[in-house]
Amino acid sequence: MAGVTEADFLLAQRGATQEFGGWVVAAIFDRAGRLGFALADGTLRIGDITAEAHDGAILSACADAKGGFLTGGDDGRLVHTAPDGTVTQIQKFGSKWVDHVAAHASGVRAASVGKFAHVLDESGKVMKSLPHPSSVGGLAFDAKGKRLAVSHYGGASLWFVAAKEDKPKLLEWKGSHHAIAFSPDGTHVVTAMQETALHGWRLADGQHMRMSGYPAKTHSISFSSRGRWLATSGAESVVLWPFFGGGPMGKAPTELAGGDEVLCSAVACHPQHEVVAAGFSDGMVLMAEVASGKVVPVAPPRDSAITTLAWDAAGTRLAFGTEAGFAGFVDLSQR
Amino acid sequence: MADAPVPVTVLTGYLGAGKTTLLNRILSENHGKKFAVVINEFGELGVDNDLVVDADEEVFEMNNGCICCTVRGDLIRIIGGLMKRKGKFDGIIVETTGLADPAPVAQTFFADEDVKRATKLDAIVTVVDAKHLFARLDDSKEAQEQIAFADIIVLNKIDLVTAEEADAVERRIRGINPYAEIRRATKSDVPIEAVIGRDAFNLERILERDPEFLSGEDDHTHDDAVMSLSFEATRPLDPEKFNAWISDLLQKKGQDLLRTKGILAYANDDRRFAFQAVHMIADGDYIGNWKDGDPRRSKIVFIGRDLNRPQLRRGFEACQVPA
Repeated sequence: MAGVTEADFLLAQRGATQEFGGWVVAAIFDRAGRLGFALADGTLRIGDITAEAHDGAILSACADAKGGFLTGGDDGRLVHTAPDGTVTQIQKFGSKWVDHVAAHASGVRAASVGKFAHVLDESGKVMKSLPHPSSVGGLAFDAKGKRLAVSHYGGASLWFVAAKEDKPKLLEWKGSHHAIAFSPDGTHVVTAMQETALHGWRLADGQHMRMSGYPAKTHSISFSSRGRWLATSGAESVVLWPFFGGGPMGKAPTELAGGDEVLCSAVACHPQHEVVAAGFSDGMVLMAEVASGKVVPVAPPRDSAITTLAWDAAGTRLAFGTEAGFAGFVDLSQR
Repeated sequence: MADAPVPVTVLTGYLGAGKTTLLNRILSENHGKKFAVVINEFGELGVDNDLVVDADEEVFEMNNGCICCTVRGDLIRIIGGLMKRKGKFDGIIVETTGLADPAPVAQTFFADEDVKRATKLDAIVTVVDAKHLFARLDDSKEAQEQIAFADIIVLNKIDLVTAEEADAVERRIRGINPYAEIRRATKSDVPIEAVIGRDAFNLERILERDPEFLSGEDDHTHDDAVMSLSFEATRPLDPEKFNAWISDLLQKKGQDLLRTKGILAYANDDRRFAFQAVHMIADGDYIGNWKDGDPRRSKIVFIGRDLNRPQLRRGFEACQVPA
């Protein structure tokens, strides 16, 4: 490419990119900050290493509890991949897909297969298999790893991981719920729905929160580090709902980085600052500061939608991937 | 990126009609195509294919206050997963359970934007058992709906009935759905081209098959609750009037209207407008110009239950511009 345009300055000067040729399911920094890309061709790419994690597609991936990567595939397997590329099968769940995975630094992991959310310990043993009224749409641990929130048709279920008797707190709301998130302080649960809307529950009193007005389905939701904002995809801007001052009930959301008539397809809030990274359906990646609305471009538009965004724990590196298999990261640390 | 939508074929039919036999025939024939297969019954016969997805039929209501707006939640999830492997297969075949209402499957392809963008419904193929169809139609709402929704009907086990019986079964099918193409078969032996790659949901092809019943009014035997009615308007339609009428009709009567299809001539417009709906979920687009010299007549067909012929005719005709 001749010259450096403003839009790809960061990527060209402080980044690295790769072309994988297949859907990037997730960009993940493991607990030690090592970057891996989980691909729909079943492989996990860690630097120059290609780990053959699944026979089929990887459907979901996250940083594993104690380092390395945790992936679920359409081969029915739950797999741990070490940073050196060593692949270990944790469980095999028949022929059904392992749709969603989650893990917490305490050692606990969760994997959903059909209507069940399986909770596994550090050794990989299934401690409990929690049933739901329909297929699981999403999984999330709270910040302490004590509770697991599971979305499904008709709402979400809240389970205590260590409970002797497994009885969920049912958060009911009509419709089909998929992506799910806990607020960082554990007081709220939010889901993205089949309808172009989000739904939230204040756990203390069951107060419902309806967040609607999206032109498209929301696939990606992310709370800011202190939980003041919920960043969401699904509109032609980054839509942020205020979770302070009585919000989001009765409050209008803040919209950032709009105006290009391109749908936002992925969001990730910075782990410390009130800065949100956003990816768009044309492949553009940017960062926006919530308070000022100031936007910094990270990667210019390319050929396909951003599917995943991830910050490392220090908040100095931001990684992304696209449907067509383009992936990369930028390093924002001081030099 | 080549983003051609992936064609999806939906296979319906009662248990024992020969659905799985047809599926295996499609998969084993030497056509060089790869299919992802979504099955719901681990049943009688295994399915021999590389990419088989085991699904639970999960029918979800869309949360918009309409009870007939249902979609298959499992299909949305599975198609989302399959799309990540786009390029690894040429088409998707969805087999439904014997008792399934086909509407939620069909509606999934219109109501979910992600599914709509990534795939296109190629055809609904219904396999029926020539010997037992009469009994099924008498005791099952689903059997009637499976015929009403079909683009292609494989009239299977034809070797087990007499020629007269076969004709009687065909007449009864025509009474419910005069638009479907009927293929007689023994052990589901229809050529793959007859059921795959039909593009039957293409708006342009909707009314290409011009059933004889337009002239020979009413083959309808009145045995079945599901019937079809078609109307023609000779003067051009006022698009605003039509939209108002059809929206109101689908809103009020959507539950009984299984499928609605039309080719419309709007006033002062050289383009043909194709319209279709599955229950209340409607879709429409322009499909090229009317041919010079051809009569510009609007046609509309309703397949459904409890349809009031005079009322529908009056409603449709009232959409015409004044003479």
